[in-house]
Amino acid sequence: MDILIEILIYGSIHSITLALMALGFALVYGTSRVPNFAHGALYIICGFIAWSFLKKWGVNYYLSIVLSIMVIGLIGALIYQFILIRVRGMAISEIIASYAIGLAILEGLRWGGFKGMTYTLPTFIQGTIFIAGVPVDLHRIVVLICGAALVGFLWVFTHFTRIGLALRGMAQDERAALMLGIDSDRMAVVAMAFGSMLAGLAAALLLPLGNIVVETGYNVLILAIAVCIVGGLGSWMGAVLAALLIGFAQILTEVYLGTHFKSVIALLAIIVTLILRPSGLFGRQKELEERV
Amino acid sequence: MKIINSRVLLILLVAVLLILPGKLALAEEPITIGAPLSTAFLYGWDAERGITLAVEEINAAGGVKVAGTKRPFKVEVIDTRDLEPGVPVSEALLAVEKLILEKKADFIMGGPVRSEAGLAAMDLLSKYKKISILTTGVLTPAYHARVAENYDKYKYLFRITGEAKWIAIGEQIPALLKIGEKFGLNRLYIMIQDVAHARAFGNIFAKVMAQKGWTVIGEPEIYPTGSTDFSMGLLKARREKAQVIIICMDMPESSILLKQWYDMKVPALPFGSIIAAAEQPGFWKASEGKGEYALANVVNAGNAPSNASDWTMKFYDAYAKRWGVEPEGYGTSSSYMAVYVLKEAIEKAGTLDSDAVVTALEKTDMMGVYGRIKFDPKSHQVVPSLDPNEGAVGTIFQWQAGKRVVVFPDSIAMGEIKLPPWMK
Amino acid sequence: MNANSEQRRRERLDRGIKVRSDGIYSLMSYRELCYLVLPRAVLITGMLILPLVVPTYWQKVVSYVCIYALLTLSFDFLAHFVGLVSLGGAFFVGTGGYFAAILNTVLGLPPLLSIPIATILGAFICTLLLLPCLPLRGVYFAIVTLMYPLLFTRVIEALNILGGTDGMVGVTNFTNHYFIIIMLLAFLFGIRRLVNQDLGLVLRAVKDNDQAVRASGMSITYYKTIAVFIGSVMGCLAGAYLAHVFEWAGLSSFALDFSILPIAATVIGGAGTLVGPVLGAFILVPLNEWLRDFGTLRIVIYALILLAFIVFRSEGIMVYGMRKYHQFEKWVKV
Repeated sequence: MDILIEILIYGSIHSITLALMALGFALVYGTSRVPNFAHGALYIICGFIAWSFLKKWGVNYYLSIVLSIMVIGLIGALIYQFILIRVRGMAISEIIASYAIGLAILEGLRWGGFKGMTYTLPTFIQGTIFIAGVPVDLHRIVVLICGAALVGFLWVFTHFTRIGLALRGMAQDERAALMLGIDSDRMAVVAMAFGSMLAGLAAALLLPLGNIVVETGYNVLILAIAVCIVGGLGSWMGAVLAALLIGFAQILTEVYLGTHFKSVIALLAIIVTLILRPSGLFGRQKELEERV
Repeated sequence: MKIINSRVLLILLVAVLLILPGKLALAEEPITIGAPLSTAFLYGWDAERGITLAVEEINAAGGVKVAGTKRPFKVEVIDTRDLEPGVPVSEALLAVEKLILEKKADFIMGGPVRSEAGLAAMDLLSKYKKISILTTGVLTPAYHARVAENYDKYKYLFRITGEAKWIAIGEQIPALLKIGEKFGLNRLYIMIQDVAHARAFGNIFAKVMAQKGWTVIGEPEIYPTGSTDFSMGLLKARREKAQVIIICMDMPESSILLKQWYDMKVPALPFGSIIAAAEQPGFWKASEGKGEYALANVVNAGNAPSNASDWTMKFYDAYAKRWGVEPEGYGTSSSYMAVYVLKEAIEKAGTLDSDAVVTALEKTDMMGVYGRIKFDPKSHQVVPSLDPNEGAVGTIFQWQAGKRVVVFPDSIAMGEIKLPPWMK
Repeated sequence: MNANSEQRRRERLDRGIKVRSDGIYSLMSYRELCYLVLPRAVLITGMLILPLVVPTYWQKVVSYVCIYALLTLSFDFLAHFVGLVSLGGAFFVGTGGYFAAILNTVLGLPPLLSIPIATILGAFICTLLLLPCLPLRGVYFAIVTLMYPLLFTRVIEALNILGGTDGMVGVTNFTNHYFIIIMLLAFLFGIRRLVNQDLGLVLRAVKDNDQAVRASGMSITYYKTIAVFIGSVMGCLAGAYLAHVFEWAGLSSFALDFSILPIAATVIGGAGTLVGPVLGAFILVPLNEWLRDFGTLRIVIYALILLAFIVFRSEGIMVYGMRKYHQFEKWVKV
């Protein structure tokens, strides 16, 4: 009985963590069809920017988080406006270009001295509460609530606001959207900025749990891609559901099969999903575009 | 005016040109130490700094006496990237070969750091008959086992830092037993990273501690490199009433584990065989004090303040002064020591010839930063001991009130092990 | 710009030789023969004398370059002649490498046997494992092939087989620069010939319009299988040779670098030209070596160069070079 509650609580937390990591990637791909392989780099650089604001320039913690998320949104927009827009529509070129940007950022950070394991952000709230006898620290509760709120917000945003509707319109049919007067390049910039801010937000929420290290950037990218593939590339709601699925699957593997199979399970899930249903469990099936 | 100026310049130039070669001729040809290291990582730059410090000290004191002349050391550090995921070992091997062929390194010191790379480099080094002293990273017992197995081929390879088997049996287990006796603890839980030496650690602990009458909870939990979630493991430890958690991880994510341990108030002492995140002096502050009570093994004395020998604190302070930070990773004091050991061996051999220096190195017996340094004549592994007068001593420290307090071995301990208040 | 200034434009003219149509040459003179043979001769002789002129250390780099060049060739062939964008370079290298290491250390076969056997066996296994993914298209195939090496690393790690994270060491050394250079040249010219033969035509048709191929009563999967086998033979050969050059096979034989660098080399060299990507590898790998002195900064420089190429010169060196070689350019008044 105890263990079921544990699985429920920490499964949800783990799932939300994965969803947070993946949402930015899913949003950008979903609207502008740009696979943003610099996602992990944006995630980690946001952590370092927040750290610099907080520790170097002594800005208030919450303010520095808001500032760093805005900076990261700007960086994302600039990356799109000046670089990615030139290779728009060539999938492989987009991947290489954005991966190169990510690589340059990550290794540049390392070269700039951001190495070692002592870069950390403080948790928002200290303390631990017990839910049905299971200890959960308050920061993880914050992550859980913020993550759930973010998913809700995204739903409202894409269904009821002008920009959100325009983004969805572009995702559904770019040509039709163009005819209706939606500037697809401008919307793609918005999407990229928004996706980067989501990456930044995820970083601000998740990094206080551990420390800020460059390698995390690569891991986040792989996790984000994994979640998005299982959920269906381009469908961000699918990404959320997939995050739940993978999150719980990993926790269950850990409890019943052994921790060292955790990664194997996740990777197998991706490969099997891709082979059987390339557009993911929750994506729209476009049989002819994906497989022959 | 202008003409005079340029004339003066010309004369000066000629003078400089005349003097320079003279000066160069005066200085003896340096002895090159090649250091293949993954410089962007803790276990790379700690070695780089240790080696550099020793070389600077030796050069300031006049250099190495080889056959009547004093020759300075020169360090060539090369980036192997071997700790980075996604980079093949062949990169590191090419780097080693570049050091030997292009940079004309006379000796190799430091890495490669990753076990896989270290093992693969053995054949390469023995092919060129280059003496290599391994000072950081590679902990796998397979390394010196291979030397012992095929001595004639691998006799050029030495390791001056600890290896997994001794760390487990010689240090961790006695320390565990001591804690158990002192506080009446006997339930052990093991969380390790999925790499060969950590697996070896886990199995040794599980087997030996069970024999010693401890209860080992389940199988060792093996986490893939890069795991970010340890909640279920910690909850299991809590549920099964573990009292000591053995941790062996050299990935940075281990700080998530320690922070969560503190937040959950798991009533078990976190005991790191290798726990990268807790080694750096900045850890306590970075974790907002959540690292309090964590125990960590930094393999060799001198990486945390203690009085293993007269030299220990001298090294510690010199390092802190030179780099503005105390010794950090587990490869610091060993890398520093390796340069001195090499210097002595070269002076004893009186030549740079590999075979002669190997013989001299085998006869090494000096009091170093972490006790008496001797190599096993067959496996070329530094001889470990719990007593600094007998051999190389390790160090286990505990974070207490923001300081790294050495608590084991007893011969060099600076304080007592403490239990977190929620365990009493 | 005022209205009086004369406007000019660049006019391109083909050189006056009747060699324009693919593969059919009608030569009129020695001059034309030289014109045709020269670039090929430069390439072949250049590669053959390369190990003789570079210093010892760089000779090893030559071997390393050839390994990457084979991978690049395999990538270019699969991506631009069959339409399968395979990011599985690391998968081929790992499989070939592990097979060579097993054959050599466990069964004790000499390198001259273990390399070819590992190549064929490895290619066979790779093809078999990739078989279920063959129906996938575009970016989906790319990602699935990217995941394969990651999965195999984790499986070897989790099951602790084949040496686990320590890897397999003690593979017999076999470093013969001419072996790999000749293999590379053979594959290069072999593939160039192949893509213009009947089989190559079908493969290119699969890339351009697979439904049409299917409508003609040909099995797409059959042809894709053949192509993947050819591609993985090159990859596994590279892997097997790598294992013998560095006397090791381990988890990092599946490293991401083996998948990424070939793509970068293809981008720089010129996609779909076969020779271009090989040249790309001959530029990128030595550049990587040369930048080593810059420490971690070298990856930044490397990434920026790649970025500049893909954004501003995406046609690649080879396409650019071919255009310059085959065409005159002059300014004419409008």
